[in-house]
Amino acid sequence: MALRRCRIHKLSPTLTGKKCVSSTQSAVRTYYSIHHPDPAPFPPIQAQILSTALKNVPRLGFSRDALLSGCRENGYLEASAQLFPRGVYDLIHYYLVTQRLALKEKVQFQQDAKLGLTQKVKTLTWARLQANVDDGIIEHWQDALGHMSLLENIPASLKELGNLSDEIWYLSGDTQVDFGWYTKRAQLAAVYAATETFMSTDRSKDYADTKEFLDRRLGDVRVVGGTVGGAMSYMGWIAGNGLGLARSWGMKKDAEQQPNNLVGISLFGNQDEVEAMSRLKKKLSSMRNNRS
Amino acid sequence: MASRLLLRPSRALAASSAGISPTRALSSCARRLQQSQSPEEDGRTTHFGFETVPEAEKEARVGKVFSSVASSYDTMNDLMSLGIHRLWKDQFVRSLNPGTRTSSPGNAWSILDIAGGTGDIAFRMLDHATNINGDLHSKVLVSDINPDMLAEGEKRSLQTPYANTGRLDFKVGNAEKLDFVESDSIDLYTVAFGIRNFTDKEAAIHEAFRVLKPGGVFACLEFSHVDSALFNMVYKRWSFGAIPLIGQVVAGDRDSYQYLVESIEKFPTQEEFTGMIEKAGFMVPGKGYENLTGGIASIHKGIKP
Repeated sequence: MALRRCRIHKLSPTLTGKKCVSSTQSAVRTYYSIHHPDPAPFPPIQAQILSTALKNVPRLGFSRDALLSGCRENGYLEASAQLFPRGVYDLIHYYLVTQRLALKEKVQFQQDAKLGLTQKVKTLTWARLQANVDDGIIEHWQDALGHMSLLENIPASLKELGNLSDEIWYLSGDTQVDFGWYTKRAQLAAVYAATETFMSTDRSKDYADTKEFLDRRLGDVRVVGGTVGGAMSYMGWIAGNGLGLARSWGMKKDAEQQPNNLVGISLFGNQDEVEAMSRLKKKLSSMRNNRS
Repeated sequence: MASRLLLRPSRALAASSAGISPTRALSSCARRLQQSQSPEEDGRTTHFGFETVPEAEKEARVGKVFSSVASSYDTMNDLMSLGIHRLWKDQFVRSLNPGTRTSSPGNAWSILDIAGGTGDIAFRMLDHATNINGDLHSKVLVSDINPDMLAEGEKRSLQTPYANTGRLDFKVGNAEKLDFVESDSIDLYTVAFGIRNFTDKEAAIHEAFRVLKPGGVFACLEFSHVDSALFNMVYKRWSFGAIPLIGQVVAGDRDSYQYLVESIEKFPTQEEFTGMIEKAGFMVPGKGYENLTGGIASIHKGIKP
């Protein structure tokens, strides 16, 4: 940890030629590698203060008091809260990031278990929602949602939601690389956001209502996805039929071959007349070519 | 032609009448050369606006500028920033949120306001701590290198409720060498619109690092560089064109105002200054600065680890 701090201190705007990576941001890596562990998401002092503050959230809520208690209990001054320019939102952001990263340790799928993709996604999503309960912050989650929906915080909140959705799909073993990558993550993000909002007001035993809500939402996704897919293939079938019909009426692929005045005949006349006229025209044009 | 011939003999006449030898120019050069090699000057220079001056001289010249504007400091600020400096100072104090809600003599904040002669920031800090955080014990020590500015501040403090309460103290001192402040004794060190006048900014920042407690905050509000190139053009026309003229007309002191706009121009950019703060050992939150009014002023913060 100290070594990393030293390395970061050496970076200066003149050397790198671009915006200086401040010592409070961890070294920003623009790639992801499974062979090298990710750098810590938060600098050590901030992480220390925020983790203590998080332990006090069940008692104090997501408030400035929790943040200050984190500072005080680690032996820092109340003035040290200046480390968090976004105030309480920094605490909420810390919670979101650490819970997302903890999913990997929390849910381990057995290699031999024949679980479908949907089942894995459901397990991971429920594990993340359960974490809200285990940490005791679900009573204060409405305050947190309020903070996350402030205009200056919306981009960061949406980014974290996208990251969570991505993490869940990745951990469940999704390997799709076409456009479905985007649609699946967008759908899961929407489902998760709706379920978490519902959970913040749920008073049922063991959050059974929330679990049913999640099942219904994931079922909707399956049904809607299937319906949309079915509708697309139906439209495709209709379009294919229409094309065949047009071809049978004399529509040719090559526009040169199609005579100008045969358009009217092709709509109102019969097939034989159309074919006879087109053969005649072809003969005339070949005679013209031979002569020239 | 004829006039030139006329002039030359008259100058020679004047010289001879004054009893000055024709080789005076050379000897005075030699004298100035000797002066520049005197032990006080070791050749280090710094900028005083756009002028380059020896470091030893800058302090005295800045002192002269501020002594001359001490009584009309507010007018000067109002003119330079069209009154917006009050909003900047309010935002500065509000974002620092001095004072503690669980106030007791034990955990009171001890705030050091540097170059805060007239007390603008100090009074705002105490008001915020007292009225918003309910903290009746936090205190502010105001220090300035210029006794005139400090006297102005003391005069104004009599109008505030903090005058003789022991929560407000005034001391003359050099920010680069704060002998009267112990190490690790200050919660919050602020300097508003002062650091661009310091001869050695890095020394001041290092001194701030020394006097702050671990976890303490260094906060600096200063004129800085504007983000957008278009707005910058307009802003520079205003600065260099209008401000010295207004100074001339209103305060009768064009040179001080000229110095002030030039010193803004010479101040390092936001990123450079953040680098200087980090080099002294501070941790910088986020990107380290917050631009106000598009970058005309900016708040820099650092926390001692």
